[in-house]
Amino acid sequence: MHTKAKSSAIKHGSPFSRAVIWILLIVVAIIQIFPLVWLLDFSLASSTEMFTNGLLIIPEKFRFDNYVKAFVDGNFLWYLKNSFLINVLAVVIVVLVSFMAAFAITRMHWKMSGLVKMILLMGMMIPIHATLLPNYKIYSTINMTDTMWSLLIPYVAFSMPQALFLMTGFLESIPKSLEEAAVIDGCGIFRVVFGIDMPMMKPSIATVSIMTFLNNWNEFMMASTYLSSDKWKTLPFSVLEFTGEYSSNYAAQFAVMALTAAPAVIVYIILNKQITKGVALGAVKG
Amino acid sequence: MKKMYSNKAVIAVLVGPGLLLFAFAVLAPIILSIYYGFTNSTGMGSYDFVGMKNYKELIHDEAFFISIRNSALLALGFICIQHPIAMVTAYILDRLGGRAEHFFRCVFFIPNVISVAVIAYLWKFIYNPDFGLLNNIIKFFGGEGKVNWLGQDIAIWSVLIVLIWHGFGWGMLIYYTGIKNIDPTLYEAASIDGAGSVQTFFGITLPLMKPVIQVNVTMALISALKQMETVYLLTNGGPGNATQFTANYLYQQAFRAFKYGYGNAIGVVFIILCVVLTVITNKVFEDRDLKEEKKLNKISMRKEAI
Repeated sequence: MHTKAKSSAIKHGSPFSRAVIWILLIVVAIIQIFPLVWLLDFSLASSTEMFTNGLLIIPEKFRFDNYVKAFVDGNFLWYLKNSFLINVLAVVIVVLVSFMAAFAITRMHWKMSGLVKMILLMGMMIPIHATLLPNYKIYSTINMTDTMWSLLIPYVAFSMPQALFLMTGFLESIPKSLEEAAVIDGCGIFRVVFGIDMPMMKPSIATVSIMTFLNNWNEFMMASTYLSSDKWKTLPFSVLEFTGEYSSNYAAQFAVMALTAAPAVIVYIILNKQITKGVALGAVKG
Repeated sequence: MKKMYSNKAVIAVLVGPGLLLFAFAVLAPIILSIYYGFTNSTGMGSYDFVGMKNYKELIHDEAFFISIRNSALLALGFICIQHPIAMVTAYILDRLGGRAEHFFRCVFFIPNVISVAVIAYLWKFIYNPDFGLLNNIIKFFGGEGKVNWLGQDIAIWSVLIVLIWHGFGWGMLIYYTGIKNIDPTLYEAASIDGAGSVQTFFGITLPLMKPVIQVNVTMALISALKQMETVYLLTNGGPGNATQFTANYLYQQAFRAFKYGYGNAIGVVFIILCVVLTVITNKVFEDRDLKEEKKLNKISMRKEAI
């Protein structure tokens, strides 16, 4: 019933208002998506074809060799593997660490819990980029630059506050009765934490995972500050390094950009519903 | 049961990793920044303590104030341009329903999942004076199309456009979620009363969206202040310091101009600015909420009295 009422203005409104609504939607959609269409189009052309006065080019023949260059010389697979590994690890650690802390803060009885929660949440206010200079010093002093840890640790540390915030909120809404029953049955505390409570946290674990992934997947400031060799460089470096190497081959640059953007866009389109839900939950409560 | 839940060792095991991470990755760098902020370190070799010299220099540093101004401009751009469009789009989207709703929501959000590295280089090409998309669009409509988009005078506006464009999906999605949470019976009541789309938007959606608007505005302000990555790749603050932002400036000072001590001093001020801005916006919105609650209480009390 209510969906009918809701969409009435759009389906049964005057033709004029319906036209206005559709024009608005389509204009915004074009503004958002056309630059990407343009990117894709130029990535299939040759560099000489680009100096045109038209908006899009119809290439004489599709230049898939641009993509071959991007794939091979952009170090695409290696960087993709690094990005994937580091981000998956970051998600797992963020979920574990923030869930454990959230449990201690909301369920356990101790005096400092409020203070500890406040301190951990304060991380949300600190601008990441202000820590670039001192962290570079710290990491080079203890020989941690150019290792996976120099990315993993700050990624986890800066995703943790929001994760903790979401998880304490969610944990408070779960009734304690199940836990109490488990304790009476003789469960130890760690069984309660990981065996009873953690499975019930699935929705907030999903949200935290999505937020952490989105936040860190495209990060490159820390990566370009703390890393020097190719060993742990992440996906954005495909673009950053390739454009330097192929500075005059514009078409190949377009191809590497399209290729680098592809994994995130494809995953987003497939998991559209879950990601929308996750982002919304995380942002509104965060 | 009680004993088990107040076991100190267990608590330490559970909170320990989080606190350690915080201390190592957040607290330690802040302390180190405060320390180096008082020195003339170049980043390498020995250095001396110079007291407040860096901070005194900062007060007279034009580039720093340009950065703050640019952040303010960006915040205004988010709030005055991006948010109104995002909210209206979200409102329409919500009433669209079905596949079209799903499709447009997806399209609007896609730029947001693409790496800043790609976005920055893509827009460099869009602004390219020779074969850039923007000049070609101007030519397409009969103009001359020889605008130097990243030149001194208009570079900051070009940068703002990229940031507003890239963040649009995010803002839209948050408004969209807020709108989805509005009780549909309110819309039914409005449509029975014969309210049109525009009336419903201003009469029901907008007032009920207040908390969501507050969240979104807070995030816009803070992300405008924290902006770095797009600018770093698109213009690196140039030409001159025309598109400078604080984070980019402190990075440049430390690693390009080798004024590591000065860069850290900017970092300290930057952290303070971010904390103060967060606290103030939260306070302002909290006070407003309290006042409004009181008003509502009064109204309902009066109604009861009647």
